[in-house]
Amino acid sequence: MSITRRSMLAAPALLTGVPALAQGAPIKVGALHPLTGVAASAGNAAKAALELAVELINTPQPDLAAMPLMATTGFPAIGGRPLQLVLADQQGSPSVAQNQALRLITQERVVALTGGYQSGLTQTASAIAERHGIPYVNGESVATNLTERGFRWFFRTTPIGPDIAAIYMEFLKAARVNDRPISKIAIVNENTEYGTSIADVIRRTADAHGLSIALQIPYAANSADVSAQVLQLKDAQPDVAIFISYTSDAILYARTMRAQGYRPPILIGDNSGFSDDNFVQTAGDTAQGIINRSAFDPSRPGSNSFKINALYKARTGREMDDTTARTMQGFLVTCDAINRAGSTQPAAIQAALRATDLKAEQLMIGYRGVRFDEKGQNTLASVLLVQLRGREYVSVWPTETATSQLQLPYRGWE
Amino acid sequence: MPAAPRAASRLLLGALVLAAVLVWPLLIEDQFYQRVGALVMLAALSASAWNLVGGYAGQISIGHVLFFGCGAYASLLGFTWFEWAPILGAPFGVAVSLLLALVVGRPTLRLKGHYFSMATIALAELARIIVTNTPILGGAVGVSGPAMPRSVLDLSFISPLPYYYIFGGVLGVLLLFTWWMSRSRMGFYLRAIRGQERAARSLGVPAERYKMYALLASAGFTSLAGSLYAAMLGFVDPDSGLGILLSVKMVIAAALGGAGTLFGPLVGAAILVPLEEITNAMFGGSGTGVTYVVYGAIIVFISRFAPGGLAEILSRLKAWRARHAG
Amino acid sequence: MILAQVVLNGFLVGAVYALFSSGLTLIWGMMNVVNFAHGDFVMIAMYVAFIAFTALHLGPEFFVPLAAMMLFLLGVVVYYGLVRHVMRGPILAQILGTFGLALVLRYATLWIFSANFLSLPENLLGEVQTVAGLRLEPSRVVAGIAALILTIGLHLLLTRTALGSRLLAVAEDRNAAMLVGIRPDPMQALAWGLGAACTGVAGALIALFFYITPTVGESLALIAFVVVCLGGFGSVPGALVAGLTIGIIESLTSFWIGPAFKDVVVFILFLAVLWFRPQGLLGKA
Repeated sequence: MSITRRSMLAAPALLTGVPALAQGAPIKVGALHPLTGVAASAGNAAKAALELAVELINTPQPDLAAMPLMATTGFPAIGGRPLQLVLADQQGSPSVAQNQALRLITQERVVALTGGYQSGLTQTASAIAERHGIPYVNGESVATNLTERGFRWFFRTTPIGPDIAAIYMEFLKAARVNDRPISKIAIVNENTEYGTSIADVIRRTADAHGLSIALQIPYAANSADVSAQVLQLKDAQPDVAIFISYTSDAILYARTMRAQGYRPPILIGDNSGFSDDNFVQTAGDTAQGIINRSAFDPSRPGSNSFKINALYKARTGREMDDTTARTMQGFLVTCDAINRAGSTQPAAIQAALRATDLKAEQLMIGYRGVRFDEKGQNTLASVLLVQLRGREYVSVWPTETATSQLQLPYRGWE
Repeated sequence: MPAAPRAASRLLLGALVLAAVLVWPLLIEDQFYQRVGALVMLAALSASAWNLVGGYAGQISIGHVLFFGCGAYASLLGFTWFEWAPILGAPFGVAVSLLLALVVGRPTLRLKGHYFSMATIALAELARIIVTNTPILGGAVGVSGPAMPRSVLDLSFISPLPYYYIFGGVLGVLLLFTWWMSRSRMGFYLRAIRGQERAARSLGVPAERYKMYALLASAGFTSLAGSLYAAMLGFVDPDSGLGILLSVKMVIAAALGGAGTLFGPLVGAAILVPLEEITNAMFGGSGTGVTYVVYGAIIVFISRFAPGGLAEILSRLKAWRARHAG
Repeated sequence: MILAQVVLNGFLVGAVYALFSSGLTLIWGMMNVVNFAHGDFVMIAMYVAFIAFTALHLGPEFFVPLAAMMLFLLGVVVYYGLVRHVMRGPILAQILGTFGLALVLRYATLWIFSANFLSLPENLLGEVQTVAGLRLEPSRVVAGIAALILTIGLHLLLTRTALGSRLLAVAEDRNAAMLVGIRPDPMQALAWGLGAACTGVAGALIALFFYITPTVGESLALIAFVVVCLGGFGSVPGALVAGLTIGIIESLTSFWIGPAFKDVVVFILFLAVLWFRPQGLLGKA
């Protein structure tokens, strides 16, 4: 019932989209991000990336012609109508995320929703989209259960927990410390949903691969002091330390490890905080050689990732980090589906999303492609490992696609 | 004005306000504003529940989210463990809240002023940290309700209107209870305790006991608010169900409207919630934080010019009218 | 050896807790005003230090006093503009007013400086030193020593000077103070200024080793509340003892039990103290 009501509302807008000459009314796509609160720096990075995406879609970009919608103006299959981004602040609250999702759907009449950032917020916001029959595409939340809910309007482009754990295992089984295989792994994770779920999936996968986790230290991300954790590691002497942290604590760890003179042979910093350009700028110099997981490798000149990163940098003065890139890719996939739907009808966009089959060269990120399974999860999402050199991450694993050679042991501040 | 027509006109005014509260959501079609209305009811419910102990008894708890969280978690854990409809967990949430209030209330209610407030903050934070680190309670990830509604008992509606009326109905019950309480011996005792606890004690008011009654009633209704919240949202995690900000919001809604008055918390919620939602809708997308600058500035402004809440302005107006009429 | 390092780190963190709580205890204990914006005062001081360093190229010997002065001004302005009026109302009005103020300060900062994380160069005060096998970070050691000096200085000011006794007199009984010819408003404004100035010193020193972002005050504020309450409202030595105790307990709990539980131990201890000694460690009954 709600679907028919939506399509009736969308119908008048459809009539305007005939010839290619006049641009016509813009097509609105909604995005929910944390623009205030503790995750505000991530949210504002996403905002800049999405605004860049809108500009790229609405103006011809011959340089990026390999990617859908870039060579043309607006949505060519819908009469060249321009794209309009409607951004909302979810304030880090599941309830606000729902309110804003409802507002974007009923007041702003967006044809699709994207974003969410924290998994819990993606969950509540997408429940509203599901009830109203509006496609919801998420590009950054990794909690596995999001695509296990039997939703018909929910799609996710990002790699999730098991993909992430798999690449770590592959790397850890191949890596050597002082010419012997790795035997002792420590995980230090922030204890909210992100850190806990990634730590759990790594632990489970490690057990299945016969690599056991010797030590796991969960901590609260808002800690004012993390030196005790660092000393615990210094005491335990693991071969590999895996940190799963947000930006603020990632910065503190890098600084405290230097202050306490601790360097593990291999240091892995999982994505979020360590990918954040804020981390690289404020603490990168003391964390040289840290290994990170990423799907975004802008280090190969001429690649889509390289060009997008350059445009983003010109706009913001900062490097695009992995989370932001995944967010932007999710948004671009949504726009591509709207164009292929040839209509602003939710059901048509949903069908187009289901039929999505993007190749690696059509993407701005390092996935093998985008193709959704029946649950809405991208089956071609993939991850690679990068290493910090100076103030830039370079790809080092898997070796066949890497741009640089892996350097071990971890150097830190030297 | 003679007494009888005055009572009649007050009754008429009350009836008109009530009718307006009941009817306005039907007159607008905008679902967002209907939902904001539902959230006003919910915020008014928890602020009014807080008001029993924080306003009437004058014991300023900044840890009421403890009870709110009990309700929210009971609802969704009932679903996670036994596949119950979330609302069926509500009685258990209330039971656990009452038990907690009994256990921690005894030593805590003896504390005075800021020490009481700080102890309640510490208790709520303890609960948050313990839940965060207990996987069976959902841990850091939180717990979810049914992804797809199974029956009407799941309270999963597309339209916000049913929520508006459910929350409003429970709020009505609470307001009736509060009205009854404030006119009973208990209300009299509580006002005495709030004014001068030592004096009240010396006059033979069993202060400990009545403060505990107020806390129990308050905890029960706050827990119910938590259950209703969880039933609507279908998700709770330690931050959204047990975070300190929620406690503070209950306090400021009551303080803004006038703590210790029947309708103060409702008025406070009716101002704060729309203000928050509308500033966010207007400025949130700019990513500049201007939402909170405006929201915060308005709160500062009110506290600066009406430290006793809006109820104070009302009584000042009344006094002014009385002076000019007579 | 590692244990000694754990205790030392805890001690240094505890000194910082004491430092940023001393300003709060002055305002809270002496005037019975809760300042929910305290964490954001610390945050403002951190930005003052950052701007002074990057834009004006001032070293810590200048930006710490500068932050103290700026925050003193902020404190006085907040007193006359807001606190003086909300003090007429119930305690709730203070919560309302200072909570609103906290939001304004925090998000005005976000508006101006964006949410990005900033930091001062890591070794502004020199490299990490190893003394008797213990690693000492100069910035933290300086912050710790400054904390001790400042709290003792503040305590002496309150207990040994004429100004201090006038401040205390107003705190004790506003009306009685007026009877003996002390005008309470300037005294209370001064108390706010002093409290905020201490906070300013604390913020500028913390900026030496901490990241700077608009929401940084949030995570620091709660611990300050606990320190002040545990030490006893208005007791500057109490804040020092409580701060050091909490710092060391946190550090040991993190090391032995796990960092996720450090606040559990702190809060349980806090409640136990309150339940058995309701006036705090060094507070007056």
